[in-house]
Amino acid sequence: MKALITGIGWVNSTGMGCGREHSRFEMPPGRLPRITRKSISEEPYQRFGRMDSFSRLGLAAIAFALKDANLDTWTRKRNISIIASTVHGCLGTDVSYFDTVIPQEGRLASPNLFAYTLPNSFLGEAAIHFGLTGSSYTISSPSASKLQSLRMAIISLDGGESEKVLSGVCDLESPDLFAKTGKEIPGALFFMIEKSSKKIGTAYGEVGLDRKGMLNFNGSKVEDIVNLVRRCLTAKHAKVKGLTAK
Amino acid sequence: MREVWITDAAAVTPLGDSLNQLWQGLLAGQSSIGPVLRFPVDNYCAGIAACIEDLSPTADRSMTHTLLERLIMQVDRVPPDSLLITATTKSGIDNLERIRLGISADSRDVQLSRAAETISRRLGLIGESMNISAACASSTIAIAQGAAMIAAGRAEVVMIFCMDLVTEFVFSGFSCLGALSPTPCRPFDRNRSGLTLGEGAAGLLLMSAERARRERRARLGTILGWGAVNDASHITAPAKNACGLIRAIHLALKMSARRSRDIAAICAHGTGTVYNDLMELKAFNQVFGDHNIPVYSVKGAIGHTLGAAGGIEVALSLQSLSNQVVPPTVGFDTPEKGAQGSVSSKPADISGDCLLTTNSGFGGINAAIILKKGQKP
Repeated sequence: MKALITGIGWVNSTGMGCGREHSRFEMPPGRLPRITRKSISEEPYQRFGRMDSFSRLGLAAIAFALKDANLDTWTRKRNISIIASTVHGCLGTDVSYFDTVIPQEGRLASPNLFAYTLPNSFLGEAAIHFGLTGSSYTISSPSASKLQSLRMAIISLDGGESEKVLSGVCDLESPDLFAKTGKEIPGALFFMIEKSSKKIGTAYGEVGLDRKGMLNFNGSKVEDIVNLVRRCLTAKHAKVKGLTAK
Repeated sequence: MREVWITDAAAVTPLGDSLNQLWQGLLAGQSSIGPVLRFPVDNYCAGIAACIEDLSPTADRSMTHTLLERLIMQVDRVPPDSLLITATTKSGIDNLERIRLGISADSRDVQLSRAAETISRRLGLIGESMNISAACASSTIAIAQGAAMIAAGRAEVVMIFCMDLVTEFVFSGFSCLGALSPTPCRPFDRNRSGLTLGEGAAGLLLMSAERARRERRARLGTILGWGAVNDASHITAPAKNACGLIRAIHLALKMSARRSRDIAAICAHGTGTVYNDLMELKAFNQVFGDHNIPVYSVKGAIGHTLGAAGGIEVALSLQSLSNQVVPPTVGFDTPEKGAQGSVSSKPADISGDCLLTTNSGFGGINAAIILKKGQKP
């Protein structure tokens, strides 16, 4: 089974953006940039102010991936699924919410914060803002691999459940209190993966899953998610050079 | 597409530590909803929930460990090469409460992947493991994804474990959203006033038909099809026009190669909130029209078990298909418009091989699974 990577979007300590706007990619540890409403939308976006940091992070990376795939504008809802891997999910929001419960034994519990105490809340926000009606869920795996959501995306495309899947990772820094649970490099990174071959000319390349469940890009094994982005950017660069030569 | 069998099913709920106890309790119309004693409820809009008796944390570990240990005792041989998928919305969130209250607790239990890690080690599994989280449709989607892996030949055996707890974290949240009913919930009743929280866990062993035959496993049921669709309309409320659930059911029917008239009964999400139940009735009436299918909800008996709901309901649906009867909807009395003749406060006989089970959740997600009757073990 093979599919096309048609868009990449990210937010990490180096900044935020789309694959087509960059020729290099890194995901180092460090402080994330401030995400504003304008990072996601030129239009007024009332819900943005209510969102927790985790949702803003994921939503921004999804917005960039959709923009990169030329799918950021819409008039009718689309059958696009979202599968996101996360280690800590919305743990920071959980802490903030429960801190509103403690002082007066629940009298001051915040309904707005509670709405964001699910790791899939940001997928709902993305679905509403971009009209995405496919399946949406998060994956958390004890293994260190960040490629699980991409594998699930390809299986979903293969099984005919989806035509397009946004797949990636999203994590804030773990709250200090939970340092024991391990440090993740904060950031979000999403790929737009499509079944259609119509976009083959504009795609970064083909991503596939072999019988052993190993992910490959343009025929060779994918080691990790950062490496996959780099290879996409290299493939894009090679394509552009090829076109220029003609 | 390869055939996917369910070869084992187990549940731990406030109605007992076995699926059979739960089934018998439901048929008898029992309810496990009672006063919450686990944390103070004076400042919340309700003081009741369906809690499992004697469920308590051991040392600094979350109550999920106790719950899972009770569930594991009910599960038959799990092949070591099983892919493990857990489903939960809040995992060991009771430990976050303890930490914030200054009580010693293991912070690792708060992680969503913690249950998968624990179960994998406890059962000696050598395959991959992961947790799927999609609000109250978490376990429905976990089952669907497990089935998809087997159907596509990507896995031979998938073990699903789903669980969620009644905690002050979750209770206070639903209370401040105004979603809790002060009295036991009344799914599909005209006088319903909200949901009642519950806790529980379920285990389902999914296997390719070839492997199950080879291992001489029981076929409790077959997963024929599934669908998952986002409403893309609201974060905490269902779409009033039921667009997501309608499409999820249509996708499940299409994958199952079944028509709406082939469905013998519907195990609904049926939370007892005004908007959820209206949305579901709209979806069922639109898809099934005048075909008056028995519809039931178990939440009046065991409460809303959140991420575990779909798994528990699939396990119960296997019992319904096997015994050709659906349990009563506890708390149901005066039908909401559209529920007349389909929802009942008494057990109802069914006639047919296929059952639809549905769940919907925060974030706008809807999921549907169609099951086919298996063989009596």
